[in-house]
Amino acid sequence: MFKKVLIANRGEIAIRVTRTLRELGATSVAVYSDADRNGLHVMLADEAYHIGPAPSAQSYLNIEKILDVAKKSGAEAIHPGYGFLSESPVFAKAVKDAGLTFIGPTVENILSMGDKLASRELMKKAGVPTVPGSDGAIADADHAKKEADRIGFPVILKASAGGGGKGIRVVHDPKELASAFRACQSEGKNYFKDDRVFIERFVQNPKHIEVQVFGDTHGNVCHLYERECSMQRRHQKLIEESPSVSVPPEVREKLGAVAVRAAQAIKYVGAGTIEFIFDNKTKEFFFMEMNTRLQVEHPVTELVVGYDLVKEQVMVALGKPLSFKQQDVKQNGHAIELRICAEDPVNFTPNPGKIRKYRMPAGPFVRLDNCAYPGYDVPIYYDPMIAKLIVWGPTRQECIQRLQRALGEYMLTGIKSNIVLHKNILMHPAFLEGTYTTQFIDQQIAGKKHRELFMFVDEPVFLISAAIEAYNQSKSRDVGDYNLASQWKKYGRMKSMRN
Amino acid sequence: MYFEAESDGLKYQVSVTESKTHWKVGMREDEKEWVYYDIRKEDYRLLDDTVSFIFKNSSYLVDVIAKGTEYTVYTRGVFKTFKVYNEEALLHESLKAGGGMGAGAELTSGMPGKIVKIFVKPGDEVNEGDPILIMEAMKMENEMRAASPVKVKDILVREGENVETGATLVTYQK
Repeated sequence: MFKKVLIANRGEIAIRVTRTLRELGATSVAVYSDADRNGLHVMLADEAYHIGPAPSAQSYLNIEKILDVAKKSGAEAIHPGYGFLSESPVFAKAVKDAGLTFIGPTVENILSMGDKLASRELMKKAGVPTVPGSDGAIADADHAKKEADRIGFPVILKASAGGGGKGIRVVHDPKELASAFRACQSEGKNYFKDDRVFIERFVQNPKHIEVQVFGDTHGNVCHLYERECSMQRRHQKLIEESPSVSVPPEVREKLGAVAVRAAQAIKYVGAGTIEFIFDNKTKEFFFMEMNTRLQVEHPVTELVVGYDLVKEQVMVALGKPLSFKQQDVKQNGHAIELRICAEDPVNFTPNPGKIRKYRMPAGPFVRLDNCAYPGYDVPIYYDPMIAKLIVWGPTRQECIQRLQRALGEYMLTGIKSNIVLHKNILMHPAFLEGTYTTQFIDQQIAGKKHRELFMFVDEPVFLISAAIEAYNQSKSRDVGDYNLASQWKKYGRMKSMRN
Repeated sequence: MYFEAESDGLKYQVSVTESKTHWKVGMREDEKEWVYYDIRKEDYRLLDDTVSFIFKNSSYLVDVIAKGTEYTVYTRGVFKTFKVYNEEALLHESLKAGGGMGAGAELTSGMPGKIVKIFVKPGDEVNEGDPILIMEAMKMENEMRAASPVKVKDILVREGENVETGATLVTYQK
């Protein structure tokens, strides 16, 4: 076992990794920027080293500084978490060159999946399905028909430079193909001065389905089944669950097998995730990309299959074989994760600032991977996610009910959070039925007013509470206690100074 | 105690009276009827760090954070911010010509008071911070200044005149 491990990350994932290291008897070394001196990850680690100013480029992305601290602290290995340097081949190589162990995939693994287009070609060769499309530009309407017949309808025609709804046509009926092609071509020419048009299969009711894979240095590769992450805002995941209700059993087996094949093709080592776009009408899936790291949403897999993925990462890094065989991996019950972010619930703008009251949900089968506390100042420099609420239930329905219960216990004041957005989603028929797609937020939430989401509170409660508080503030002024000077007084004083 | 509050573009008049056992909170949205709520103090109590508020038998944990005139109420994962003005704040707002409750193309009085002196006449172009008039309210003389460069259109009051809350004093041309 490693005696000491440095965690090159911050926030909840640094804490998550620290926990497993503790359980394994390794000393954990935290790093922190100027903005994170008060970070919970610093308090929970055994050792902590300052690595620079608040901007990530000068701290959490500063390879030289991190390696310097690793040496100084005597760490034998580095866990990169997710984000920051986790998928940097330069970092992975630098760690290795410094004589330390990188708890993650090989440099070659990262490199081969780092380029989106190249990795898709690589996967195609390995027999992993990718979205069918024309390899080059379409010459004319006849060519379009030939390609569309090969690809299968519905198809989407895209002008090479198209965007903003211009130069894009979805064609369901072969009879409309020729006219759609001409329209696309002329739109491309008129709006973008580029008349090249490409054709691709149109994925209907698109869902984001991904498969957790794990490889070791002995050539074993297993999958730990799928996660569905279709609930997204701004192309970032918001809710993840496992298993996916949209994946039928025979497709699930195929998904797993394809994911293993993909990982084997690049001799993958450690924890990785193969992301697919899933057509919920035809139940077909197509390779999108591979993430060569531990994912934010790894806990839903942990709760369903029962393995500690960070522990498995550490063991693989030590050169041990995987602790399980494919036939041992069973999906048990259902798990859902909600990302709790310091952001506006409707327009998703980050809302960093000081948390005042913070009560965390607890109770049976509730897990909170958290980095906030009362009085914690959420820094503006990093991701606004402050916690992940992960809940397990024997069935999806029980899991959702438990999640609703747990969310009701969550209290976070002082800054805006997306807790109320989650409450709304958890009641929405499309979520309850599981038919939601990656477009759910855009179609159902975006553009809503706050008060449309706020049905959990009887309206007068707000103003009554504000009024009583304002009354108390005004009264405290009359008492004449200087230290309890009312907000009014401060306000007035500020005003007169300005005038 | 009388307040005015504003949230999401809606304006409220609010009255709060306290007895030994009850809070009586009245509210009036825009020009609608006054609505009164009798809240037993037992149902609105500050526990160690939060208010436990039982409203119509629904149990809320409430936190109210005041920053200047902004009061944000947090409960059940939901939040709502009011601008709340008491008499003192209403006065100060009115001094801030062009801001707060009196925003717009005119200068209004946030308080009942008496116009002491007027510095401008119609057609004058004034710069930000230039004095417009002096109003006496709450036993103090307050100079009201322009919040931005404006052209004076009309003066609707005379020196020595008493004005009510919300009265338009001077209009601007943008």
